[in-house]
Amino acid sequence: MAKQATDVDKTDVDKTEIEEAAESADAEGAEEPEKAPAAASDADTKPSERSVDEKKSEAGKPRARAVAGAVGRGAVDRMDPLRVTAIVVTLIAAIAAAWSGWSWYGAKHDDSIAYSAARDDVLQSGEQAIQNLNTLDYRSLDKSLQTWVDSSTGDLQRDITQGRAGFEQKMREAQTVSTAKVLEGAVTELDDRSGKARVIVGVEVTVTPSKGDPVVKRNRLIGELTRTRAGWKLSAVAPAPVGNA
Amino acid sequence: MRNVQLLDDLDEVETEPAPRRRGFRFPFRLFGLALVLVLVGGGLFFLRGPVSEDSPAADNRALTDTDATTKAIGDVSNALTRVFTYGPDDTATAERAATESLTGHAAADYQRLFGQVKQQVVAQRLTLKTHVVRAGLISLNGGRAQLLVFLDQVATRASKALGTPAAAQLSVTAELKDGLWRITEIKAR
Repeated sequence: MAKQATDVDKTDVDKTEIEEAAESADAEGAEEPEKAPAAASDADTKPSERSVDEKKSEAGKPRARAVAGAVGRGAVDRMDPLRVTAIVVTLIAAIAAAWSGWSWYGAKHDDSIAYSAARDDVLQSGEQAIQNLNTLDYRSLDKSLQTWVDSSTGDLQRDITQGRAGFEQKMREAQTVSTAKVLEGAVTELDDRSGKARVIVGVEVTVTPSKGDPVVKRNRLIGELTRTRAGWKLSAVAPAPVGNA
Repeated sequence: MRNVQLLDDLDEVETEPAPRRRGFRFPFRLFGLALVLVLVGGGLFFLRGPVSEDSPAADNRALTDTDATTKAIGDVSNALTRVFTYGPDDTATAERAATESLTGHAAADYQRLFGQVKQQVVAQRLTLKTHVVRAGLISLNGGRAQLLVFLDQVATRASKALGTPAAAQLSVTAELKDGLWRITEIKAR
């Protein structure tokens, strides 16, 4: 190793010899097959109409410098457009990869975003359905009851459909108009895989008889929702139990 | 001597291209790395699926953060039960619970009302028992929570029940302070 170092020092002093040596080595291009593609790619990156000789001598120069400058090597290499391009491309790729990694990480949280959206959807649908099912006008029973059917699914819908005729009869006799206003609601359970949810809703119902004053009642309701192809529908509804410890 | 030197130099010329060769391979390695990065990035990008916008729904951690949801509902239910459960022999427990778990408007209102109630409680031997039937978390943003609570209250006077339990619905606002949800506002619904 120590011997080589002194040799390099010597060559540094004896530059003409080195250039000679480099050129002579250059002339024997066959000895170094790597040189040809290197020169070719050099020409590719900076297209010019230099002669083959020029290229050759240019390709030879850095070689000489490499020898001469175990000291000053690198500075010229870094200027190599291919290298610069490679660095720039890699940097861009790294930034792009980092960005897409970041957004992939964000997508992992998409689950909770989707869940949040489902929760809000459930609450909105649940409140609307409960309001619908507490709204009835005996003068437009068909329309009211159709809304009931549309807001429900499963057992609740079946109950409404089956009891419809009897219910209509009763309402015609009672001649009342009920309107409902949701005071507040909250989702208490949500399984967005099975498509089941539970809500609690406080609702104010105003029942107006054909004669007499309206009666205002506040109800605490527990609703069960099921996801259908047409969105979340009420599958059960019951007043929250009172008095059970 | 000179020949030997020249030979040495030739040796140098031939051994030196090694780093140079590496130098030429280096950009290609970088291109390779770039390609890998692009593939990885692209893969992640496609795995990511459709772009979702930032929605206010995502800020609301109600139910999405199950631990925080359970804690908020638990703390608030516990606070309501303790604060609205008292008897002629023990009003101090409820008051102590109030100082612990109520704050802001709720604390001020409670103090004012309980001052009046306390005398009746003792004079008429009133007992109030409260239990939470259902509670739901409407929203949970940072250290603020909004809840809907259904609760039943049973009042007895001199050990005689006063009819059926009263059904109440409360809108409750709470804030997280020192690891405990404290009620800042109670609104009857």
